[in-house]
Amino acid sequence: MISPELKQVILKQLNLDDFDIKDETTAPEVPGWDSLNHINIILAIEEHFKVKFKSYELLRLKNVGDLQKLLDSKLGK
Amino acid sequence: MSEFYFNIEEANTLWKRWKLNSEKNPNREAIVHWVAGEEPYRWTYKNLIDTAKKFSQELIKLGIKPGEVCAIIIRHNPLFYPLYIGISRIGALPAILAYPNPRLHPEKFRQGLEGMSQRSGLDYILTEKELDPMIRPLIENPKSTIKAVYFPLEWDLSNSNDEQLDKEIEELANKVKDTDAAFLQHSSGTTGLQKPVVLSHRAVLNHVLNLGKAFKLSEKDKACSWLPLYHDFGLIAAFHIPLAYGITTVQLNPFEWVLAPVILLEAITKEKATMSFLPNFAYNVLADKIDEEELQGIDLSSLRIIVNAAEPIRHDSHQKFVKRFQKYGFNPLALACLYGMAEATLGVTVTEPGKPITELAVDRNELSKGIVKFADNNSIVRICVSSGKLIDGCQARIVDDKRKDLPDGFVGEVAVKSVSQFDGYRNYPEKTAEVVEDGWYFTGDYGFRYNDEYFIIGRKKDIIIVAGKNIYPEDIEDAVNYVEGVIPGRVIAFGEEDPELGTEFVSVVAETNAESEEEKNKIRMNILKAGMSIDIAIHKVYLVPPRWLIKSSSGKPSRKTNKERILSKTDPQVWSR
Repeated sequence: MISPELKQVILKQLNLDDFDIKDETTAPEVPGWDSLNHINIILAIEEHFKVKFKSYELLRLKNVGDLQKLLDSKLGK
Repeated sequence: MSEFYFNIEEANTLWKRWKLNSEKNPNREAIVHWVAGEEPYRWTYKNLIDTAKKFSQELIKLGIKPGEVCAIIIRHNPLFYPLYIGISRIGALPAILAYPNPRLHPEKFRQGLEGMSQRSGLDYILTEKELDPMIRPLIENPKSTIKAVYFPLEWDLSNSNDEQLDKEIEELANKVKDTDAAFLQHSSGTTGLQKPVVLSHRAVLNHVLNLGKAFKLSEKDKACSWLPLYHDFGLIAAFHIPLAYGITTVQLNPFEWVLAPVILLEAITKEKATMSFLPNFAYNVLADKIDEEELQGIDLSSLRIIVNAAEPIRHDSHQKFVKRFQKYGFNPLALACLYGMAEATLGVTVTEPGKPITELAVDRNELSKGIVKFADNNSIVRICVSSGKLIDGCQARIVDDKRKDLPDGFVGEVAVKSVSQFDGYRNYPEKTAEVVEDGWYFTGDYGFRYNDEYFIIGRKKDIIIVAGKNIYPEDIEDAVNYVEGVIPGRVIAFGEEDPELGTEFVSVVAETNAESEEEKNKIRMNILKAGMSIDIAIHKVYLVPPRWLIKSSSGKPSRKTNKERILSKTDPQVWSR
């Protein structure tokens, strides 16, 4: 389940009002989420949640659900 | 450091050159195939050639003949390289195409491939099994020029060691002439606007000689690159030049690099690479988007040349790169710039390795009028970065609209003539005739010459360059024309400067009758989705009322005039997001 907070950070970075982001959503399905924007989305999440991701952790992500799990692990959830 | 030495006559086709290198230095590493977080796969010249021979046997058994075009659509895989070499050995023409991004609509992918195949005469597609459902309908179409699709990564090569067959293939390889076509390179684009550039063995080897000399290449060099091999910058600079010269190239996965840019720096550090190649935006990404913690242990002191090409070179990008990486051993004098294009194999001009790059502060307003005037106290300054001097075997002119030479100090179109010039666009004589006259290739790029150095400042063509990738506005406009609420035929797309990333982003202006905020937001979302369907990210949408767009003399909305009007931000009727 994608938290509303994570969804908001992503949507804000992509300049979207709303988009149905689920666990299985992948970046190419979301308007504007291309490889160049991906870096900015990750940086925005890091800044918002005060966490740091490692590059190798990011390479393993398959979808937004994986990103949520990685974020949760950083937040100790 | 050993001297540059390259004698084309020793081995005058690519296959002969690779084979010669494997005989001279069988155990030298040819390709280090890098995968993030894993041990790289290391091809020696001998292993690479031996495996290529096996692939060539399989290709011949399938009936593939010299001169036929084999499109390769394969992701980062160690078997890609011997397959490419095996195709070349039998005298067929490899043509590397981009693997489709999941966002690209399958039908759009097929249309692009079909358009390309009709133009380029693609005979075979060598790809991954996963793409079978996407490509199969294309092959089954009776009008298709494509004869078959194969999955070479699935082949069992353990029995591909028929000595008699190998002897026959070697005889075939020896019949290939240096003037024969070696491979096809395709320009970007999605709807068949791609232009297939045909390059001969002679053109490519001439380029190894002349660009290699300009790079001051030596036996001690080692290249390291994440550039995709379907792009001329990656294919020539980071693949053909090192392999023909007989040194090592480290190949990273472009998809991994964009997700984790630090892997390039890790690979350079671990492999002690001396050369790398980057489009301008990558300097910004590396300098701005990597956390300090991730840079522990990075050592860039081995780099003696890092070449910026494939999109306009920005002064700020170099500055921030040096500022960030000097403390990691990066030598600022390793920065170099190259100007070129696939039609000249790759390079036309290059700055001298180990020397500072010339930068000129000129008056921006005068420059826009075509005059190069050094900036004074009253000027709005534009810093122009040199792309260096002509490499051997190349000539260039700066010409006006009538293709008459302009003196130094004036901006004009760059025309080039090179010993590595292409043999024309394949099956596209009318397009070739448009851009080639008396042996000169008219590039469509605008620039000027100062003290024998060339400065590229813009382009005549409307091509948008995002992160080194050429995008045709026509492709975007075609897709957006079908969006509900957009007035058909009343759309333009253009590139807008992205100072943060040191590249351009795609903007679209569309006329609409929609008035409410809700309707406009809906149209914007559908425009973004239309871009996605052709794998193009549209970053900014401008919506304007009917008859807002100004037409050019051709009767179509003018990209240049309307872009200027939009960016002047003076019209309150313009809705943007």
